[in-house]
Amino acid sequence: MSELIHLSAVRRRRDMLMRGLLAAATALAVLPLALILYLLLKKGLGAWGASFFTTDPNGNFLGDPGGIKSAILGTLEIVGLATVIAVPLGIAVALYLVEIGRQGRFAGAVRYFVDVMTGVPSVVFGLFVYITLVLTGVGGGFAGWKGSVALGLLMLPIVTRSAEVVLLLVPDSLREAAIALGAPRWRVALRVVLPTALPGLVTGSLLAIARGAGETAPLLFTAAIVQGTSFNLGQRMNSLPAQIFNDVGQAQDRLVARAWGAALTLVLMILVLTLTARLAARRSRLA
Amino acid sequence: MGNLTKGDLLRSRIPLALAAVAVLALAVSACGSSSKKSSTGSSSSTSAPTSAGGTINGAGSTFAAPIYQQWGNALRSQGVTVNYQPVGSGAGVAQFAARTVDFGASDPALAPADLKTIKKGQPVQIPTAFGAITVAYNLSGVKAGLKLDGKAIADIFLGKVKSWSSPEIASLNPGIKLPSQSITVIHRSDESGTTKGFTSFLAAHSPQWKSQVGSDKTVKWPTGTGAKGNDGVAGAIKQQAGAVGYVEQAYALQNKFTTASVKNRAGRYVAPALGSTTAAGNGIKVPADLGISIIDSPNPAAYPIASQTFVIVYKDSCKAGVAPATARALSRFVSFALGAGQNVLGQLEYAKLPAPILAKAKAAAGTLTCNGQPLGAG
Amino acid sequence: MEAGTSVATGSRPTIGRLPAVRRQDVVFENGLRLVAGLILALIAFFFVRLYVEASPAFQRFGLFGFVTTNDWDVSRELFGALPLLVGTLITSAIALLIGVPVAVAAALFASELCPRRFRGPLTIVLELLAAVPSVVYGLWGVFVLIPNLQGFERWFASAFSFIPFVGGGAVRGPNYFIAGLILAIMILPIVSAISREVIATVPQDHKEAALALGATRWEMIRTAVLPYSRAGISGAAMLGLGRAIGETIAVTLVIGNAPTIGKHLFDQGYTLAAVIANEFGEAANDPIHRAALIAAGLVLFVLTLIVNAGARYMVRRAARGVRAPSGGRAAAPGAAAA
Repeated sequence: MSELIHLSAVRRRRDMLMRGLLAAATALAVLPLALILYLLLKKGLGAWGASFFTTDPNGNFLGDPGGIKSAILGTLEIVGLATVIAVPLGIAVALYLVEIGRQGRFAGAVRYFVDVMTGVPSVVFGLFVYITLVLTGVGGGFAGWKGSVALGLLMLPIVTRSAEVVLLLVPDSLREAAIALGAPRWRVALRVVLPTALPGLVTGSLLAIARGAGETAPLLFTAAIVQGTSFNLGQRMNSLPAQIFNDVGQAQDRLVARAWGAALTLVLMILVLTLTARLAARRSRLA
Repeated sequence: MGNLTKGDLLRSRIPLALAAVAVLALAVSACGSSSKKSSTGSSSSTSAPTSAGGTINGAGSTFAAPIYQQWGNALRSQGVTVNYQPVGSGAGVAQFAARTVDFGASDPALAPADLKTIKKGQPVQIPTAFGAITVAYNLSGVKAGLKLDGKAIADIFLGKVKSWSSPEIASLNPGIKLPSQSITVIHRSDESGTTKGFTSFLAAHSPQWKSQVGSDKTVKWPTGTGAKGNDGVAGAIKQQAGAVGYVEQAYALQNKFTTASVKNRAGRYVAPALGSTTAAGNGIKVPADLGISIIDSPNPAAYPIASQTFVIVYKDSCKAGVAPATARALSRFVSFALGAGQNVLGQLEYAKLPAPILAKAKAAAGTLTCNGQPLGAG
Repeated sequence: MEAGTSVATGSRPTIGRLPAVRRQDVVFENGLRLVAGLILALIAFFFVRLYVEASPAFQRFGLFGFVTTNDWDVSRELFGALPLLVGTLITSAIALLIGVPVAVAAALFASELCPRRFRGPLTIVLELLAAVPSVVYGLWGVFVLIPNLQGFERWFASAFSFIPFVGGGAVRGPNYFIAGLILAIMILPIVSAISREVIATVPQDHKEAALALGATRWEMIRTAVLPYSRAGISGAAMLGLGRAIGETIAVTLVIGNAPTIGKHLFDQGYTLAAVIANEFGEAANDPIHRAALIAAGLVLFVLTLIVNAGARYMVRRAARGVRAPSGGRAAAPGAAAA
């Protein structure tokens, strides 16, 4: 602020007031995160114990309710398969948009509808998979892989959109140089463009995985909630969000404690994914 | 991508990127569990499936969920895994009809409307236990069970009685000091057998309830907060001072709720208890399809808002698409329910089936087949 | 597929290429085109399937009747989604009223007032709110917000009872306000992230000009930053609205699940998304109930579609103001974040 110019007291006071308000609002914005993390640590760590991660929920009506082993493994399996579905497909679509479709009408349509898909509420994806895969009885009723399909649908547009942005950043001169050397275009795309954009692609994929891992609604409709551990994606499968949702509804201290412990586990998983993604993004910017 | 040769793909960096993502995902999740466990978990997702032979999936009644849970625990040592999802009787019947589960569980007997939706085979309903639907409340300072009659409960759930100290409640409870707290009604939001039993009782005792709301697995509630399942209602009562709701007795015990004594048809105020629930089931007529109802029993010793609960299976599960091994596990579950299972019901204050009903239930279980072959349950 | 036509336009010149190389490229390009086409087909299937499944409900109740009838009564097979729609709109409106001012203020603070050193950490902290899953917000809402805010809600309801829709009824545990508050927190990160990106596009000259004329920091924000970024901030708010409308699990846990139109801010209600999550199980084999839920999903989807399209338009327009039409495809700010 310039001291050469005389500021009237009113204007100076108003400036201070508004700055104070903005700072207060920022504090207010940060407060929920602080509160949630504090409570998660306080209540969640209290629930953590050796048997918390090594036992399945047992559903006992009274007494020890068991741990969250099946929920952790279920989340890993379901999200793992969803990643295998969404990441290659999502990157392939982005590759098409950037390398081949470009400004064409078809590419425009694809781009538009991928955009539309990012706005579809997750519960609608769940509903879609429920009516097309669960109720029609394809491979039995509820199943882990159907949960993966629902999460994959949710993650795919996120992967595509972020990948498109990243692929566009690859300088055209790089492509032109490779083509001038006589490389076929597929080789240019796979050996020059993708590797150059790799850190950015990893970032986008990790963010999509983080988003998928925290979703509850699509899993309730597709993978259901069970207690036991299953390594068969063709069967019903437990997951952390579904387990938490189930425990919250019952308001019993022993189940609520487990819900906090499971929530802390889930939030840590997602935080690490998110922070890794941010780090990867920062590195790619430096390169 | 399908048009690329494998060699091209392998030489490209795509697999590398994928591997990096996968490895990161695993490494990250390792902070939750031990890293060994999580990696075996993910990698074996593609390996050979474990035998599903001993696993049966069921869904439905939350009223009976504590029993099925307990029976499931007992059966696990015999190699039968029971995945029971307490989603409400309505969803139980729907999921059974849609064949997303192997058995359904419902408190009310199958209605003609239900039967119309079940097209994949002939259903058999097998009663498994009786329980009491308690009127539970969260009212600090009132330790003794309040006395309530059907009309008073109906008026509370109609939203006409808004305060705990209102004359309609006070006049039934002379000598009890009632706080002038406002009443929050908690009811089910899902289609529920507990709701069916509760609203049937209210409809029988309050003409206004009968005409305005009616009785069904779900009704249009005039007031109150909806919660999912008996467990959800119990949770909501616990969370809200001044709340009143209806839950199966096991949930009231689990949450240490105070429950009301309810006036039965003989004019007596009866507290929910094992004895009074058993009394409600005594001398009941059993129709050929076993579709009993023990609500509003004329027995003077009976608790009036008692309910039965059924397991619903296909007469021939295999023809309805259940794997033979699963059908055998299902029949073991049913025979356990009608055999050793009956003896543990009292632990959670559920009543055993009286001998005449039990005999008929066993006979019905004996008719279960798999592709025409008897399964030998019962 | 329209492969043949767009190969020519999309390809770079391949003069003097060996036929084998050209063949490989054609395979590669058509492969990718196939994947893109499959995705498009999948999305088309998605809509058609939802519409076909929902049509019994629209036939029975009418497209207009479905969303304007105030009667959701499963036992009588009457499905009028007005109470759900109203619940969705009320909770989203509360979320915007609370969330947007806070988010924009935080964005302004982070980009204009905050010491440069703290800018990075503050940005990360604001974005981390997005990493908390919906169900965890629900858990927090049920066991922390509902019990601890009752006193405040009672005070607020009586102190401001002159405002329509605020006073005049018992404060319920789960209610519109709690749901709206949680939604406000959930949309904070996206609204503030996009606002920040929009604010970052305000030309330095404008800001310096304001300061040179003797404006205070606040006056600079008011006269240079806000007018320039208004459209973008509106777009950010609309993207937040799109999020709030579709949010399911957290709302399901704190809305009270009563399919009636609540009489006041602290009354319980229902939302489109919550009703789907709660009732899909029992609707499995009831054609009209199932159709009604899918119709609710479609209404939800159309709402988010309109809101998001509006948001994208505004954000893009804001972005175009600065970045000259560089190929017409300047990625909208926040494209990756959204």
